[in-house]
Amino acid sequence: MDLSVFVAGLPLKNPVLTASGTFGYGREAAELYDLSVLGGVMVKGVSREPWPGNAPVRVARAPGGMLNAIGLQNPGLEHFLMVDLPFLRQYDTAVVVNVVGHDEEGFVEVVRGVTGQAGVAAIELNISCPNVKDGLLFSQDPASARRLVEAARRETDLPLIVKVSPNVTDPVQLGHACREGGADALSAINTLLGMAIDPVRRSPVLGNRTGGLSGPAVKPVGLRIVYDLAAQVGLPVVGMGGIETGRDALEYILAGARAVAVGTAVFRDPFAPPRIVGELAAELGRHGFESAAQAWAAANPQAREAVS
Amino acid sequence: MKMWDLLVCDVLRPAQDYVELRLQAPQPIDLTPGQFFMLRAGDTPDTYLPRAFSWYRSEDPSSISFLFRVQGPGTAHLASLKAGESLSAMGPLGQGFPLPARPIRAALLGGGVGVPPLWGLARALLAAGSEVLALIGARSQAHLVGVEEVRALGAQVLVATDDGTAGHRGPLTELLVGERVDALYACGPEGMLRRVQEISLAGGPPAHLALEAPMACGYGVCLGCVVERTHPDPSLGEYGRYARVCREGPVFPAGEVRF
Repeated sequence: MDLSVFVAGLPLKNPVLTASGTFGYGREAAELYDLSVLGGVMVKGVSREPWPGNAPVRVARAPGGMLNAIGLQNPGLEHFLMVDLPFLRQYDTAVVVNVVGHDEEGFVEVVRGVTGQAGVAAIELNISCPNVKDGLLFSQDPASARRLVEAARRETDLPLIVKVSPNVTDPVQLGHACREGGADALSAINTLLGMAIDPVRRSPVLGNRTGGLSGPAVKPVGLRIVYDLAAQVGLPVVGMGGIETGRDALEYILAGARAVAVGTAVFRDPFAPPRIVGELAAELGRHGFESAAQAWAAANPQAREAVS
Repeated sequence: MKMWDLLVCDVLRPAQDYVELRLQAPQPIDLTPGQFFMLRAGDTPDTYLPRAFSWYRSEDPSSISFLFRVQGPGTAHLASLKAGESLSAMGPLGQGFPLPARPIRAALLGGGVGVPPLWGLARALLAAGSEVLALIGARSQAHLVGVEEVRALGAQVLVATDDGTAGHRGPLTELLVGERVDALYACGPEGMLRRVQEISLAGGPPAHLALEAPMACGYGVCLGCVVERTHPDPSLGEYGRYARVCREGPVFPAGEVRF
């Protein structure tokens, strides 16, 4: 089975990546399996300076998934370049750097800092984290999203993927703004804003009060948004949200995703990404496809027309 | 860290609301007292995330048990397992209790669901020639666990209950009054751990605390289970403010964490 795909000119050996914020910088999973089996790694968000993340409690249970309010704890750009990127460079997999910032300058400096570094395959601009102050600032107004993407675009020739938020009225409008700003691709979805309440403490469970819902519970929302983005925006899409099996991955591809990312599933099963690579090959065969790219081409016709 | 398919051998009910799952591994497991496992706790929407449990007993290298209080859908599922069924587990995870370089007299404090790591720790200390005073607490006599099991290893065991139905009535830490020990090791409710921390930092013996925190992955990737460090590594900047309970812990020196 030929699993190779392209996302905005970026060649991937297979369409299965790990989703940002669920995989650190690969070190922990690398104790379990060879990361070279992955199509790519979308790393934990990288900010200009180190960020501490939110005060605990940071995770809570939710039916069919979980809530998190980690708050983008990360060691910052310099540590990423000196320690984390060299580690990931050992593996034959596409490293997609997820970039976060509190303001335009913060985003742009990280984009500039990782551009030209050996081993960086693409950039994912994270304008959709619901768990930090201003995390959704650039998602809630398409014009400011467009300005941010333009500013990032000026700094890099790397494939520029923008991770859009499901916590907006119209993700497609946001997608259009990103395309106009110069994005090469979109990724969707980030987590859905939610809350858990503790009756004993009579207050929200999470230290941040609200958190992001992820896991199988959000898959229908992810499929809907990926379908709409793929059909209407005219950019390739990396689909994610509740992918647990090869069947789920195939569903996203048939919704119009060029590639998929596995996130919360790795908390339940650390081997989920390599397992899904194998399962996807079997699912493609079972449904009469000869390659992953062929399945994408059979995706909803609007998506095919819009992106091919 | 490894993935295991453990075979359920026996399901014991040692106290009110408590279950001990006794399991067999296909090969020996290298265990340190205080380390934990993530157990797959069912396949329903309510049991999506695995649950973290310290290992309790291990009479031979390929046997292991977990002792827990049944209090939600995950623990109810685990309690419903039958001999002959299998359980998916990942571990052992995290940093366990460091053992002293030479024989000492140690006090081990276990409160409620925090009792399990005491068994392995008592056994390791006794095997190395240390003297072990184990203090075990519970709400009431009906909820006491581990007393006979830890005593059978050769430890001196004292008991405290909230309602006085067994042993000392009141906080477990009051049993330390008048005891001369070289080190404290504790696992249990936050209030108890905080008291042990206070005693240690106010000129008492050095203490190690086994912490618990809401956790999603158990192996360091989600950053969900963090605790604040008192002495962060300055080279890490703000990133160093928190330590992962699952990876840098769950056992921390009492002076290194704020909770």
